[in-house]
Amino acid sequence: MIPYLIIIPLLGAFAMPLMGLAGRKAGELWAVIVTLLTFGVSIDVFNTVWKKGILVYTLGAKSPIGKGVDFPVRIVWEVDLLGALLALVVAFVTLVVVVYSIEYMKHDTGLEKYYTLVMLLEVGMLGIAMTGDLFNFYVFFEITGIASYALVAFRNDTWEGIEAGIKYMFAGSLASSLVLLGVVLLYGQYGTLTMAYLSKMITGNPTFTSRVALGLLIGGLLFKSGAVPVHMWLADAHPAAPSSISAMLSGLVIKLGGVYAITRLAFSVFGGGTNLRTLGWVVILFACATLIVGNAMAVVQTDMKRLLAYSSVGQIGYILLGVGIGLAAYGSEVGNVALAGAIYHTVNHALIKALLFLIAGAVIHNLGTRNLNELSGIARRMPITSFAFLVGAMAIIGVPPMNGFASKWLIYESSALFNPLVGVIAIIGTAFSFAAYIRVVFTFLGRPCERVMQAQEPGKAMLLPMLILVAAIVLTGLFPWIISDRVMLPAAKMLENTGNYVSAVLGGA
Amino acid sequence: MNRTFGGLALLFLLGVLLAVANPSTGIKFGPGGDEWMKYRYTDQYYIDHGPEETGGANVVTDIVFDYRGYDTLGEATVLFTAIAGAVALLRPWRRDGDE
Repeated sequence: MIPYLIIIPLLGAFAMPLMGLAGRKAGELWAVIVTLLTFGVSIDVFNTVWKKGILVYTLGAKSPIGKGVDFPVRIVWEVDLLGALLALVVAFVTLVVVVYSIEYMKHDTGLEKYYTLVMLLEVGMLGIAMTGDLFNFYVFFEITGIASYALVAFRNDTWEGIEAGIKYMFAGSLASSLVLLGVVLLYGQYGTLTMAYLSKMITGNPTFTSRVALGLLIGGLLFKSGAVPVHMWLADAHPAAPSSISAMLSGLVIKLGGVYAITRLAFSVFGGGTNLRTLGWVVILFACATLIVGNAMAVVQTDMKRLLAYSSVGQIGYILLGVGIGLAAYGSEVGNVALAGAIYHTVNHALIKALLFLIAGAVIHNLGTRNLNELSGIARRMPITSFAFLVGAMAIIGVPPMNGFASKWLIYESSALFNPLVGVIAIIGTAFSFAAYIRVVFTFLGRPCERVMQAQEPGKAMLLPMLILVAAIVLTGLFPWIISDRVMLPAAKMLENTGNYVSAVLGGA
Repeated sequence: MNRTFGGLALLFLLGVLLAVANPSTGIKFGPGGDEWMKYRYTDQYYIDHGPEETGGANVVTDIVFDYRGYDTLGEATVLFTAIAGAVALLRPWRRDGDE
């Protein structure tokens, strides 16, 4: 089934201009069908990987290894539990976003291009999650990047859309050229592009070049994940994009193109030949700065979507913190728990932030303002939306019945055991995040102002995706430790075990 | 202040890359003989086996369309994305009248 994870959305995107000829409804129906099928395939792939372990697929031959030699000559896909989990989340959130867009985007023009770009964004992220080849990773990284530049600026009649798009594009292209330079240096030094074989080569012969390449790769990827010194594009791009796109950018793109790629490269490619302790501390330093700055800036915002964007920066800090501790305490119980917490929080934050941005979209669609000061008392007129926001806010702060609690708990616990100071920083970040969200909740519950009085609930096509996400958040929140033990801890173990990742492709060679 | 810092960072990066480009500390240029087999073993495989495995006399097209055909599909998708994005952004603005 695994090739269909790329084939279906790619066919969907390439056929979309034709479907668009048949009219608007046909295009929307096509987009929903394609994303629904992709979600079905991703469930099947996740199930297979969960039961049988790492899945390897070679494009064009039975085995990636060439005839009579012991190195791979073809492109491989290598899906471990982390990749399969993220593919599942990508397919789920994209499906929800496409259903939401049917009503949300109805006042916009150029919709066949919009759905084409959304499906291409999905292809790019699925490709990143599945690939086991370094250059192939770069190609899909670029597909994701270009599709998201275009989608951020999709509302070309607003000045902020174009401004944010230009800012994102200039800085993003620079960052991805750093990634390409890193790939070039690794190929020049080691002569292979397959991640598994490259890992073997680096372990056998760690060179100065490989460290420079690692620095360039991490630098480029930290940009894409919105870590602190380079988070400015994110705070502009998320508010300017259509809300459905903000949900995808914040829930998925910064994680697949940023954090997942960093994790994959650090553990699977550079796991053997690099000093993981140093690398871990570098990531922890960025994570702590990201935590504090992102959450603190969220407190002072008056623009609802900008608040959510800064909150995304803050939450990326938690995920990076988990990854950093997983690297610095590699092989110990603490490192394993931290990594499991980071993976868990990646999934949870994707669901929560998608929900919050969809709610922000519903509010803005209805009232035409993003200013929090003009939104007071919205709970009277939009009770279901406000209830969904309350669930999302509780989940992101980490209140026990919601899913955010378990993942944050794993990160707090491991950071406190690893280094109490880091644990304190994590708690301070949450205090800021609490302040930011409680302010919005109080605004929603306050006395209704004039502008709010004519508001009403959005239609079914917008409410249904929100309620699905609320249900997902509450249901996964009810069984946090079962999910953590069955899925997240095995995923972290599978990621830490670089030897298995390498031998799955090379077949013990 | 920021500009000075950025300039210094660029200088540092340039220095590091110059060290990488130096054959004694980093990457070898024009490897031949034993070094060719040490650093370019994959290329040698494509040259040796490309024509018989794929049936094409041009090794570059063998690689681009057969061994690494998936990357070419990805590049085609990048182009398609860029065109879709450019067309989407250059469409006329919506006017007040048409919803």
